[in-house]
Amino acid sequence: MDMRIALLCGAAVSCLGLPAFAADTDVTIVLNEELETLEPCMASQSNIGRVLLQNISETMTELDPANGELMPRLATSWEETDDATWRFHLREGVAFSDGSAFDAEDVKHSIERTLSDQLTCEIGAKYFGGMTITPTVVDAHTIDISSDPAQPILPLLMSTLTIVPAEAPMEFTRDPVGTGPYELTEYNVGQDIILARRDGYWGDAPAVTKATYVFRSDDAVRAAMVQTGEADIAPLISQTDATNKATDFAYPNSETTYLRIDSNIPPLDDIRVRQALNMAVDREAFLGTLIPEDAQIATHMTVPSTLGADEDLAVPAYDPEGAKKLLEEAKADGVPVDTEILLLGRLGNFPNVTEVMEALQAMFADAGFNVKLQMVEVAEWIKYYSKPFAAGETPALVQAMHDNNRGDPVFSMYFKYACEGLQSGICDEELDADIAAATGTPGDGRAEAWRKAFARAHDLSADVFLFHMVGFSRVSERLDFTPTIATNSELQLSQIGFK
Amino acid sequence: MQRFLAKRAVSSAVSLILLVIAVFFLSRLTGDPTDLYLPVDASAEARENFRVLHGLDQPLIWQFLDYLRDLVRLDFGDSIRRARPALEVVTEAFAWTLQLALITMAIVSGAAITLGALAAFNLGGIFDRIATFFSLIGASAPDFWVAIVAITVFSVGLGWLPTSGTGTVWHWILPVSVLFIRPFGLILQVVRGSMITALGSPYVKTARAKGAGPRAVIFVHALRNAMLPVLTVIGDQAAALLNGAVVVETIFGFPGVGKLMIDSILQRDFSVVLAAIMVTAFAIFVMNILIDLAYAALDPRIRY
Repeated sequence: MDMRIALLCGAAVSCLGLPAFAADTDVTIVLNEELETLEPCMASQSNIGRVLLQNISETMTELDPANGELMPRLATSWEETDDATWRFHLREGVAFSDGSAFDAEDVKHSIERTLSDQLTCEIGAKYFGGMTITPTVVDAHTIDISSDPAQPILPLLMSTLTIVPAEAPMEFTRDPVGTGPYELTEYNVGQDIILARRDGYWGDAPAVTKATYVFRSDDAVRAAMVQTGEADIAPLISQTDATNKATDFAYPNSETTYLRIDSNIPPLDDIRVRQALNMAVDREAFLGTLIPEDAQIATHMTVPSTLGADEDLAVPAYDPEGAKKLLEEAKADGVPVDTEILLLGRLGNFPNVTEVMEALQAMFADAGFNVKLQMVEVAEWIKYYSKPFAAGETPALVQAMHDNNRGDPVFSMYFKYACEGLQSGICDEELDADIAAATGTPGDGRAEAWRKAFARAHDLSADVFLFHMVGFSRVSERLDFTPTIATNSELQLSQIGFK
Repeated sequence: MQRFLAKRAVSSAVSLILLVIAVFFLSRLTGDPTDLYLPVDASAEARENFRVLHGLDQPLIWQFLDYLRDLVRLDFGDSIRRARPALEVVTEAFAWTLQLALITMAIVSGAAITLGALAAFNLGGIFDRIATFFSLIGASAPDFWVAIVAITVFSVGLGWLPTSGTGTVWHWILPVSVLFIRPFGLILQVVRGSMITALGSPYVKTARAKGAGPRAVIFVHALRNAMLPVLTVIGDQAAALLNGAVVVETIFGFPGVGKLMIDSILQRDFSVVLAAIMVTAFAIFVMNILIDLAYAALDPRIRY
């Protein structure tokens, strides 16, 4: 009888589906949205990157977020053979998770696939636009990669390109195969994705044996899941939920918020007006109120760890009276400073964005500007942000947040400041020349060349810089893991330890 | 009956076609998905490639005719964001929504009908007052607030239930409970009102005079006649759940069709939006037929 009761209890428990036994070295990671695809060439999207990048799919080189240096990954070394060509020496003894050996043909196919117009790969569109890349296999473990125009930072660009086997088809996959320390074992659409540590990885075996990724849109729920032990890492929680010093981390998330000034349209074409805009903003007042106190006041389009960032550059001090004087001077010279300026914000761009924009409008009004605030959703906002600007002849300040976590300003400066740049609100021959020179400068001189371009953009008051932003993560106390600037785009399981 | 079903099918098909036309053109008015899909720094060439690849470079009328041609073959097109058939994406999500709606409505209907009938039978009594009080609170409580409070109390505070997800039976308790509250309040009020009328009718008085007990009076004589307006409200509430319980799906991480539809609208993933609308419209059509059949079963005067 007792046995029957025990069996019945056992059956009942099974029916209720209590969670299966999980090893101490298994982790659960809760992401803020479900992955739309598991395609390696889309790994530049934050959540796809957090699952795939360096876990399943590896890159030739890898950027060290701590010091901005480039490290070997699937390439062991590289050298420039001529102005436009780099030779990469590939790691030997590497196998994909399907058992096939990794060689130069895989790299060639990965480049061609990522840049193919048969697919719309975000990595191709984001990092390789406007250039022609030609891979040439030298031998099984050596490949030459040429670019037109020449790319002094080609090894850095290769830190973005995920490597797939030469057999990977020219269509998006849901079953990624890579050389990384983990392989995909389950993909339960809408519920979870499970990666397991694989044998035969070329590097050291990581401590995490299995990772389960689940998806919850609500910030409070993600935070609660780590608190209750249902999850171990929530890479993104809201500032209001980040209240536990033992588990919650603020980290620079490589995003910079700013107002793009349409400098070609009166009255914004007058530098005094642009300087007045900068003096009208009390940036300190935002920190610890509407903006997290760990955020930094921005002085560049890119985060301070970027090559060429100049710590001596500063934004003007808050001085509304000084701003008024500059406006009066400009008005006396016939500049139409009373013209209504459109202040355009993007809804949901970051927490409290609407309140920040309302405060900015009030600060500009206090300094004597005639500013009209409009908040729009992303699809409408893009029309104002990218050329041809939807604002037309209306002077506009467009709020934006720019992400550059690749360590080099080349991913930012042309788009944001060159005359032909897609989101550039300024056109200045000297700045164009500085950007072109820095883009083509290799080696040690590159930092100085970018410093010059940053200084020119600063002198022109091309933007109203606001903040280098921070993100918040919650990490279980049982883990030895500290989020970094890289957590915004990847989450390497091999970097997670256990206390 | 067959003629009735055929007439309903034809009228629903006409509605569906008009819906497809309206949604197709209205959704295109909201903008080009290229700008949302590609990074803001993508070149003009990459944007043009994307438009060509997905047929967005064609005149709108050609896009519509292509869509109709495929639709006839039950091909809803591919999801731009997910790079797989839109119908597959939608049916996966709809299966979750359907389970959630069926479980919730079964519990809600059983509880609201029983308690509503008992409240009407004990009109003005303590049970009636308590049931009315809580049903009114339930009908007016906002879902998102109830959901967050439930997680805070039962998951974080007491540790009795998981916060969210779908893995086990325990995971369903909080979302079903939150979804339960509002339709329960509404249906209970309708059952109570309808039963008060039925209990005052001559046939119930006759049954009582013949010595029928309370159980027979409520469940045999009065309830069946009081059910017609209740069925209508149950149908409305079930239709709302089939369209997706967006708040509950979002907070509890349920991969249902409501959240999918909202996300797809925001992402301009037109194929998924249209497929989701068609699938939910079809489900609601089937449900309305079932309700019509239930009317006929309850009231012998109704014949199709």
